[in-house]
Amino acid sequence: MNINKKIIRVLVVIALMFLSLVTYLLYFNMFSAEKVASNPYNKRQWEDERYVIRGSIYDCNGEVLAKTEVNGDERTRVYPYGHLYSHVIGYYSKVYGKSQLEMKYDKELLGHGDISINFNELRSGYDLHLTIDNDLQSYAYDQLNGRNGAVVALEPSTGKILAMVSYPDFNPSASALEQNWNSIVERKDSPLLARATNGLYAPGSTYKIATTVAAYNAGYATQTFEDNGSFKLDDFKVENYGGKSYGNIDLKTAFEVSSNAVFCSLGYELGSENILSNAEAFGINKDINTDIPVAKSKIEYKKMSNADAALVSIGQGQLLMTPLHVAMMGASVANNGSMMKPYLVDSITTSSGMTIGTAKQESLSVPMSSMCAGYLNELMTGVVKEGTGKGAAISGITVAGKTGTAENETDKDHAWFVGYAPAENPQIAVAVLLEYDGGAGGTNAAPIARNIIRRYLK
Amino acid sequence: MSRFEGVNYKRPALLLILMNIFGFGLLFVANDYNKNILYIGLGILGFFILTYTIIILCRMGDKFIVPMACMLITMGVILLCRINIDYGIKQIMWVALGCVTFFLAYAIYYNFKYWHRLWFLYAIGATALFLATLIFGKTVNGSKNWIQFGSSFAFQPSELTKMLYIMFLACYFSKSWSAPVGKIPPKYISLGITYLFIGFLVLQRDWGTILVLYSIYIFMLYVYEEGYKFLIANIGAASIVAILGYKFLYHIQVRVSTWLDPWSDISNTGYQITQSLFAIASGGYFGRGIGNGSPNYIPEVHSDFIFAAVCEEMGVFGGAAIIILFFLIAYRCFKISIKTTNAYDKAVCFGLTIMFAMQTFIIVGGVTKMIPLTGITLPFVSYGGTSIVVSFASLGVIQAISAKAERGKNEKAGDRDEH
Repeated sequence: MNINKKIIRVLVVIALMFLSLVTYLLYFNMFSAEKVASNPYNKRQWEDERYVIRGSIYDCNGEVLAKTEVNGDERTRVYPYGHLYSHVIGYYSKVYGKSQLEMKYDKELLGHGDISINFNELRSGYDLHLTIDNDLQSYAYDQLNGRNGAVVALEPSTGKILAMVSYPDFNPSASALEQNWNSIVERKDSPLLARATNGLYAPGSTYKIATTVAAYNAGYATQTFEDNGSFKLDDFKVENYGGKSYGNIDLKTAFEVSSNAVFCSLGYELGSENILSNAEAFGINKDINTDIPVAKSKIEYKKMSNADAALVSIGQGQLLMTPLHVAMMGASVANNGSMMKPYLVDSITTSSGMTIGTAKQESLSVPMSSMCAGYLNELMTGVVKEGTGKGAAISGITVAGKTGTAENETDKDHAWFVGYAPAENPQIAVAVLLEYDGGAGGTNAAPIARNIIRRYLK
Repeated sequence: MSRFEGVNYKRPALLLILMNIFGFGLLFVANDYNKNILYIGLGILGFFILTYTIIILCRMGDKFIVPMACMLITMGVILLCRINIDYGIKQIMWVALGCVTFFLAYAIYYNFKYWHRLWFLYAIGATALFLATLIFGKTVNGSKNWIQFGSSFAFQPSELTKMLYIMFLACYFSKSWSAPVGKIPPKYISLGITYLFIGFLVLQRDWGTILVLYSIYIFMLYVYEEGYKFLIANIGAASIVAILGYKFLYHIQVRVSTWLDPWSDISNTGYQITQSLFAIASGGYFGRGIGNGSPNYIPEVHSDFIFAAVCEEMGVFGGAAIIILFFLIAYRCFKISIKTTNAYDKAVCFGLTIMFAMQTFIIVGGVTKMIPLTGITLPFVSYGGTSIVVSFASLGVIQAISAKAERGKNEKAGDRDEH
């Protein structure tokens, strides 16, 4: 072959090689650069610190939740409430990196994008103003009283997170973290797990809220059901909590007494497709993008049968939800059927107080009609008035709610309560989870929700 | 060709001048008005204008390779000044010497007619350089490829041996050397010399240069050998040697494992490459801006890793610009190689082009972790006296070849007119 032709072929090969270099460079920058750049070994991340005072974080009343103290060249990130916000604000360590809000809002806290120029002078990063009410947060923490679990309080009409506690937690200050890291990581009860947002639990009977929506849409609201204490199929049997049977009851009573027999048969009759699409309308199997990482609530079946649908209908089976998501489910009933996107950061301001950005309130989905929400409101009010959730009742305030006692891989059930108040004009929705509590949601979780609601509405 | 002869050669020159003024002007302001930066910028501008004027006026062949190479040098020197002003000052001196070498190489190559007969001299010269490196060599970064003269001057013979090797191969492939030595035909002598040099380089642990030499050999085999048997046999043998090397040579194992996963040992074997990746990742598309990055975290940033610094401060697009410049240079050189009718010149030009292209590919691919990292300089951009001077010398040779080709054509055209 002609030498010149071969040279042209070599030219093509060289061109392809160079093209692959450029492509790889672009690929790297698009898909892995962010992760690489945030590696704690990348010293550049800490460079800005020399010129910037990291912004402070405030609660909704201007209480300082995190600030940076400057002492010469040394910077200390101070969390005045210590453990209380370890799963919301997270930590900030040169050794272990950043987490939660400290990670997600790193650029803002460092004031990136600030165009003001000042020479040889410390710049201030931006401040975050959270939706969290520090008073309610501390109160919720006290209410958990050292029990493992999570409390999430939302404002139903906006999606503001008013309080979010996960326990166990840890001391987020860098020095404490660096000193205790190994023991924290090795602890069996995983203090690093933000249970409210990243813990996945069977929601138990609280999920009957969602099942009721599916039943309502299918026209079951006016029917009566025969409850003989259990739901039986060929290979399995689900009993009511405490083994009770309620006889001929309507949907409202079945909801108030939390009848597994009725809800299992409802789920079985509605079928797996209906139950699954209803779950997806509630945001299950979908990511929730909010200010901190949230695990995806999920229904995991390769192929879901109607028997599986029966289990999912009472919040068991392969259905797992985060406490935040359960709270959102309750809040969507309180908000006329519209599920608002939860958020933590209300606004970002410069150190001089100029507002740079405010949170946008948006509806994630509308899992039920407002008619249906009104119907569920009635049912959930009934639960607290005369059903399983009496422990959440407050004199003078109508509380609506649903209890749950979720079986899990251990013999100690999770205790759940999700509710909101006042039922006529909901101001707050609360979800309480006590993990591996062993008791009933109505007796153990409901009082915590009651106290939090009372504290907030007082 | 005729379409390109009318191309305005002033525009790239003006672009380059503009780039110089902005680049060094910016650096001057950012570096507390350090006057040295202005002098360096003016120096580069001066060298470029002088060189380019001579090339245009004396009709020294291709008009585009030199401005592109100068663009690379400008980007390199801007970064070197920013990394450490001393490197910038020294580099500009090397560039001065490089310019002189460029014209010397041009004049010598253009006027001397017997290059294609001197294969034994190239082979002996290169072997002597290898032996000298082995005896007097000094180990830098794990590779024993420096010879130190006195206290301040060090010389990297492998840069020069690449050039000698290309001229040696060109003798054989251009068929100017066909007489067997003893009973061994030149085909096998060139093969033997290739593997001998690779053997020397293994002793020096200069893996990058091995890759460059071997790819020159393979590409030339592909272009010049009839049939593919010999080529495939060579590639096969090389693959076997590479696999054996991986099995038994610790140095190669480390390189491969840090390539596959540098993150598991960031503070030790993965340090260099992860620092480079941090720099590239922090730069984003448009870079952190000249003077705003921290390229000094990267070890060897002024020589092998300068591409990472380019990406950090000028962004992925800055890095892509460098790659594209190298490609355009390679493209022009291939074109010269195709146009040339003299077989020896064609082979030399082709070999030198492959040298530039492969060197770029190996080090850019290495610092971005696309391929395993092997230390080698980025031509024209990296700091280094030998690298700059030899690159300029190669450029001078290519320029001479293009001038020969152009004038040869004109003469022929002239002949035709007379008839």
